[in-house]
Amino acid sequence: MLVQTIAWITSLFFMILVVAVFAVVAWKSRERKDYAPIKKKWYKARTFYGAALIALMLVLTIYTLRELPYNQPVYGAGNEPTVVDVQAVQFGWNISENEFKVGEPVEFHVTSKDVNHGFGIYDEEMNMIAQTQAMPDYTNKVFITFDEPGTYEILCLEYCGLAHHLMTADITVTE
Amino acid sequence: METVKSRNNLVVSYLTVGGVIIIAMMVFGVLMLLTQGGVIDLAPAAFYQFLTIHGTGMVGAAALAAAGVMAYFLSQYVQLSQKVMRVNLALFLTGVVMVIIGVFSFKYASAWTFLYPLPQLSANAWGTIGALLYLFGMLILGAGFLLFYLDSGRAIMKKYGSLAKGLGWDVIAGKKSEDDAPPKAVIASTMVTIVNVTALTAGSAVLIMNVINVINPAFTVDPLLAKNLTYAFGHIFANSIIYMAVIAVYEILPRYANRPWKANRVFLIAWTMSTVFTLLIYTHHLLMDSVMPTWTLILGQALSYANGLPVLVVTAYGALMVVYKSGIKWDMASSLLYLSMFGWVVGVVPAIVDATIVVNHVMHNTKWVPGHFHMYMALGACTMFFGFMYYLAKEDSDIKENAMNRIAFVAFALAIVSLSGSFLVSGALSTPRRWATHIPEWMGPAVFGAVAGVFAMLAVTVFVIHFIRYINKRRHNVHLEKTSHDEKPA
Ligand code: HEM
Ligand SMILES: [Cu+2]
Repeated sequence: MLVQTIAWITSLFFMILVVAVFAVVAWKSRERKDYAPIKKKWYKARTFYGAALIALMLVLTIYTLRELPYNQPVYGAGNEPTVVDVQAVQFGWNISENEFKVGEPVEFHVTSKDVNHGFGIYDEEMNMIAQTQAMPDYTNKVFITFDEPGTYEILCLEYCGLAHHLMTADITVTE
Repeated sequence: METVKSRNNLVVSYLTVGGVIIIAMMVFGVLMLLTQGGVIDLAPAAFYQFLTIHGTGMVGAAALAAAGVMAYFLSQYVQLSQKVMRVNLALFLTGVVMVIIGVFSFKYASAWTFLYPLPQLSANAWGTIGALLYLFGMLILGAGFLLFYLDSGRAIMKKYGSLAKGLGWDVIAGKKSEDDAPPKAVIASTMVTIVNVTALTAGSAVLIMNVINVINPAFTVDPLLAKNLTYAFGHIFANSIIYMAVIAVYEILPRYANRPWKANRVFLIAWTMSTVFTLLIYTHHLLMDSVMPTWTLILGQALSYANGLPVLVVTAYGALMVVYKSGIKWDMASSLLYLSMFGWVVGVVPAIVDATIVVNHVMHNTKWVPGHFHMYMALGACTMFFGFMYYLAKEDSDIKENAMNRIAFVAFALAIVSLSGSFLVSGALSTPRRWATHIPEWMGPAVFGAVAGVFAMLAVTVFVIHFIRYINKRRHNVHLEKTSHDEKPA
């Protein structure tokens, strides 16, 4: 499943939960009860709720930090990555190589000649699959192995001036 | 009494100026979405000017209005300088005029984050004068706010001894009892004072670097340092808005519910956490700069999660407890304040999701980002001071809330939820943010958002008109008081 889909479903789930909680409390606000017992009960509940929330966050933090996009993958012997130099300029891309094979490990070394740009890789369905910043004087890296053949598109993902939305390029992946 | 009246005049001015600018900026928001949706055909240069003015104007106006809320409640406990508040307003208006001239007469369009070296390097698109007008306008605006927070810091220290005591550290340490904890307005104001003095210092530094670079391109700066400073400024300053505005929730909601809501130790710890986290988590804006030391980015994710705790466990939970089975009277003020807590909490969800590095890898700088911050800013922060505006009008005059206002409330809530939702859908579809044009697959949500935006704008217009009507009534009252007073001796 796409990361975007997971993010969307997770967000939707918790956002609907928030809606439900606020709706129930608003509904219940029409009753009037003494505050002291409510306070006692719900402060106690808060201890559990707070602890559960912290536990959930810890689990998610650890789970999502196991593999980071910054880390260079461990390449097997004879499976050296293809290093591709990418330079962004207002308003286009200089890419040293733009044809790749499925399963070939690729490293994009991304920098910029002028201002900040963003190097975003989109698949044929126009879903973003990876990105990094293109910053002058610095080289950011994207490690990727394409699983599917097709024409991928590079889009600029950092506002860089009046033709920012025209900063695109194609790369081809073959079997 | 005289001073309270004139102090409130300043608060009212902050809110009116803020409200009017927000309506105007919403027009640009709608125009941007119509352009992206392919409904109207705006030149990309104009789109990016609108983007720049919308971002700058919204953050500035919301900060000004929220500062009005903070000043109103903080002055009930400490002595703020009216002169400083007046100077801040004057500098704000000066800065705004310069920014407007820079953007519209000189076509300046760096977006409100003015990432170095864009202000200079696109100089052939907008010229040196445009860049300087914008950058100096921001500096002047920032200087006004800096004076405001230096004054609030001074006033808090004078009354409470130190900023640490303003945050209630002596209570946390057990040296003082919970009953002697500072009022919530003071705690929040102390937090905002600390983070915004820091933010504005970083902001001025990077603005000045850009100014020098624009004048003399041979002077260069490390772009990564500039980016860090820019987001230390932008993230903190934009976030501080809700921490100022939430004072209205703390002060007003318990009065409506007729229940106490006092600062206890957990509350104090939460605000200290917010202070520290708000200062540190701006690095979640740099998650896609792999050259940053990895630990700063891991910290960016972890602390962004943790930053949700104070609001989720203390502020929102507290507000819900105050309202639950309270028989609270729902009018415009209490409804808007309750809605604002909802807006804040619901906006935290997609924000936390996006602060996750592996998610950010495919969602950074997509429309997911405006998706979560329009919830947090429009449905959270702005709604807080709109609620405050209704509260003030009711307190201070005999103005009635007609059915129009209630319709506007419902329209506003639905419109902002729809607008933010449409941004989130766009983000899930990988639509990049800050793009003047969209491919057909991306246009639907933009058009939907534009329609929602029109309703949001109409609703806010109703809110602001109500407030302006109140100002007139209020003037009238003051006038009457005066005449009756004058008549007495006769
Ligand atoms: C009618 C209501 C509104 C509409 C239709 C609207 C629309 C928009 C649009 C279309 C964008 C650009 C999205 C993109 O990057 O492609 C945007 C960005 C933004 N909006 Fe709004 N907005 C509204 C209300 C607000 C409010 C109330 C605030 C804050 C108080 C706000 C703050 C911002 C900020 C800070 C940006 C970022 C600008 C940038 O990327 O440089 N907006 N908005
Ligand atoms: Cu770009």
